Amino acid sequence: MRHRWRRHATGLAFTAPALVILAAFLLYPIGYSLWLSLHEWDGYTPRWGAFVGLENYRTLAGDEVFWKATLNSIVFVVVRTPLEVAVGFLLAILLNRRLAARSLLRTLFFVPVVMSLIVVTLIFQRVYEPNTGLLNTLLHGIGLGAWAHAWLGDPVTALPAVIAVSVWKNVGFSLVILLAGLQSLPQDVLDAARVDGAGAWQLILRVITPLMRPILALTALLSIIGGLKVFDLIFIMTRGGPTYSTEVLATMLYREAFEQNHMGVASAIAVILVTLVLSIARLQALVLRESKEAGAA
Amino acid sequence: MTKASGQRQTRGISRRRMLQLLSAAAPAVLLRPRGAAAQIGGAQPTAKPAPAGELKNPAELTGPKVKASSPTTLSFWQYVGFHVDVQKFIAEEYKRRHDPNLSLEITAYPGLNEQRVGVKSALAAQSPTPDIIAVEPGAYAVDVSTSGSVLDFTKVFAEDPEYKRGFWPNALELLTINGKIWSVPAVTNTVIVYYNRGIFKQHGLEVPETLDDLKKIGATLNGKGVIPVAYPAGQDRNFPLFPYYTYLGGTRADKLMREADLGLKPWTSPELVAGAEFVDMMARSGLYAKGPLGVKEQDAIQLLATGKSAMFWGGQWMRRSIRAALPPGFDLGLFPFPAVAAGGHKPVLSSVGITLTVNARSKHPDLAFEMIKAITGAWGKIEYTRNLGLSPNGPISAEAIAYQMQSLKDPLYPEFLKLQPTGTTRVIFTPSIEEAMTQGMQAIITGQKTPKAVMESVEAVSQKLGARKFRTG
Repeated sequence: MRHRWRRHATGLAFTAPALVILAAFLLYPIGYSLWLSLHEWDGYTPRWGAFVGLENYRTLAGDEVFWKATLNSIVFVVVRTPLEVAVGFLLAILLNRRLAARSLLRTLFFVPVVMSLIVVTLIFQRVYEPNTGLLNTLLHGIGLGAWAHAWLGDPVTALPAVIAVSVWKNVGFSLVILLAGLQSLPQDVLDAARVDGAGAWQLILRVITPLMRPILALTALLSIIGGLKVFDLIFIMTRGGPTYSTEVLATMLYREAFEQNHMGVASAIAVILVTLVLSIARLQALVLRESKEAGAA
Repeated sequence: MTKASGQRQTRGISRRRMLQLLSAAAPAVLLRPRGAAAQIGGAQPTAKPAPAGELKNPAELTGPKVKASSPTTLSFWQYVGFHVDVQKFIAEEYKRRHDPNLSLEITAYPGLNEQRVGVKSALAAQSPTPDIIAVEPGAYAVDVSTSGSVLDFTKVFAEDPEYKRGFWPNALELLTINGKIWSVPAVTNTVIVYYNRGIFKQHGLEVPETLDDLKKIGATLNGKGVIPVAYPAGQDRNFPLFPYYTYLGGTRADKLMREADLGLKPWTSPELVAGAEFVDMMARSGLYAKGPLGVKEQDAIQLLATGKSAMFWGGQWMRRSIRAALPPGFDLGLFPFPAVAAGGHKPVLSSVGITLTVNARSKHPDLAFEMIKAITGAWGKIEYTRNLGLSPNGPISAEAIAYQMQSLKDPLYPEFLKLQPTGTTRVIFTPSIEEAMTQGMQAIITGQKTPKAVMESVEAVSQKLGARKFRTG
């Protein structure tokens, strides 16, 4: 018994510094946000204002902008993640083969990931510019002038336009993770499938994809979490507009906190966002565990 | 820009050119009584031809009432990067001439939003840093003043009435909240129409006097394949509101807007709904470049610079970016937006630019006020606007304008000084109202909502807010 306690104490001593940092920079802010979400506060005074219970959550429930932002966040994730993972996976499969200039292509696909977001947004603002932008000029050039559009200025196309930029920027990241996964697959299994007469598509669909499931799930999880937290890209490109058509939870949080001085409401959004992200992460972990157990059985 | 570089520029102007510039500045001197309500600006004196030899700043950098007893550094957080050099220059001159112990450390945030977040965090933490804070007139000024986070200028102005007289009264009115002045402007600025004189000449067009003239010009230019007006409505949250402010300024309903902003009048009154209808009309008039909400400042400037558009509706503060983008020989002109109502006046949207105030927790409030006085006082304002080509925060003498024109190459500067006296304000004080107006104007431009529906939704927000905790002016 004493020996066990000593072993625990040693473990705790080693993990204590990390726990302290975790508590100070993660748990405390989350707890503080939760506390603030139950109060009224304009953010200028050193202490929060009156306790209002769940009033901030009630305010959000009755705010159509909140629902629009929630829907936009979901659309952003639901559209971006499959695109990012699917395109990344296809590219990874392609770049895992013996191709000329394979290294160059890998580098090129990864360049957007390391590019500054500000630079990316500035480039795409020019690409989407309605009068002289690259996209509309290209459309006019190939006889599709009727499709030319104010991409970021129209509430219908603004969100898809931003999602496209996000996919372009992040697909290289998925590619790298998935490529590493592909390269770690057991070669004997792939060879056995080939000997058994599996064609290229059968190999991808029936052998590679099932083997890659955990990596695909991890990539999807990272993309979902990144998508739910998206702020900078949208804030720089559209500031959530026009008419809230690209407003997501993170941009609404910022607007409520720093433009409208509703720190309580903003904290409530933060709590909802954290809950959403943690729930998705948990769900993903459960699904993965179940599939692993099913595979083992 | 440093003094040295300013002197280098001087050599680039011949005396004949100087005289031409100064004669262009002469109409800026219409002597008028200090502006009517809801206007920024007033009469500027005549610019006298520059005498031989180099002119000097005619004002004096007066000594402070309080000096630092030991080496002290004041911190100053602002949000306009291109103002840093001139602020540094003035602070260094002040240090050299009057207070060797006092230094100014300027932090220029990349934008207003970033600076506001930083300031808010510092104020909530009761931090004595920054000592000097740059605030935007309107909602930001209301936030910091009503929360007791900054100090007012009552004592400073009582001790130095001459300093107070140096500002346009209406500029100070815009910064008066609950009866006290909480910040002072470094500059004033206007929203006007820049135009390509070459294109106008080529198509035999005259500067429009009325809205109908502008529409006719638009039709002519569209017929020639030239975009009439590049309007960067996608630049920030203020730009979608400029047409609205313009109409209200042109119909003298801006005072009514201020009352509605304070919850004293409804936003659904016919005069204010008419402003929204004007926004709608402009969006569908064929005057703007396509998709204005997708057009940013740099895009619009490119349209003007490449001759794709004949006009650019923007701010005085954009002058440097515009100049930098123009090819050599580009003949740039400007005019106030034409009269929107028959027989009405031309609205020039004026406002105070960056305004300065003192953190209530500052450990050196008196020194901070002295530094602000140096930057915005008689000598400072001449240096400030000489370097930036923005309009001063108050009247300056003819000698001062002549001194400024030595280094300011841009002949548009006197044109801007001419426009200041006719300015109408473009500020909304209540954050929720500003947000509702911005979103509402975007909805009108995209055709999602009718003007009436937008103003009804703004009124709904106003009523939900109830009585405001502040009064302005």
